[in-house]
Amino acid sequence: MVDALRHAHRLVRSNGSVVDLHPTPAVASVEVGGVATGRVEAGDAPARHAAAGAALTSVLDAGLFAVDGAVDFTFYTYGDTIEELRDHIEAHWRHGRIDAGVVERTHHALRDSPGSRPRVREQVRLTRLRPCDRA
Amino acid sequence: MSIEEDPEGHEIAALGALVSFASARVLEIGCGDGRLTRRYAPFAASVMAIDPDADAVAVLARELPAVEARAIGIDQLILPSQCVDIVLFAWSL
Repeated sequence: MVDALRHAHRLVRSNGSVVDLHPTPAVASVEVGGVATGRVEAGDAPARHAAAGAALTSVLDAGLFAVDGAVDFTFYTYGDTIEELRDHIEAHWRHGRIDAGVVERTHHALRDSPGSRPRVREQVRLTRLRPCDRA
Repeated sequence: MSIEEDPEGHEIAALGALVSFASARVLEIGCGDGRLTRRYAPFAASVMAIDPDADAVAVLARELPAVEARAIGIDQLILPSQCVDIVLFAWSL
C-alpha cells in the first residue's frame, strides 16, 4: 500500500491531487427501512481497511503528502431481496458473507416494512492529498 | 431492479465536494468494471483506468471506449513522472 502511494507521488503533478477512497474499519451492516438487522461478516476486510489508513499515515509522516481535505460518507448497496444481496456480497466481497440468522431477521423486518428494500451500509472515508517533498 | 450501488450518489457527491475533474488527466487505480469511472469520466480531459481483474476491465473498456483501460496493477504501470493531475485510489489501497 505504501509502495502504491509512493508510485502515485511520482506520477502526480506538483499541483495535482491523490485521492483515496476506502471503507473505514467500522462493521458493515444490513438494514431494512434504516433499522439494522445484523452485520456483514467481512473476514479480514476491517484489518485491510485499517491497514489502508495506516499506509496513508505512513506517507504523511514521511512528508510525501499533506492532507488537503477529507470527508466521510455512507455507501448503500440495495437488493430486491436479502438473498440477492447475500449472493452479491459473497460474489464481490473477498470473504464477505451474510449469515443465515441475519437473512432470517431481514425477512421478518421486510414483512414489517412493506415496500422497503434490504441494503448494506458501509462507512467510507475520502481523503485528498497534495504532493510535497518535490525538488 | 436488481442490485443498486449508491443510488443516492453519496460517493460522487463527496468526490465532487473535494475534487474537480474538469479538464483533469486522471489515473484511476482499482477501477473494476468502471462503476465509479463512468460517473466522473465525462468531465475529465482524459482517464486511464487500471485494475488487475481482466474481466472487469473488459466491461469498462466496452462501456467507456474513451477511457484507456488496462488490466494491470500499479506495480506494472510505467508512466512518466508528474504526468497526471489526479491519481484516484478507488477502494483499492
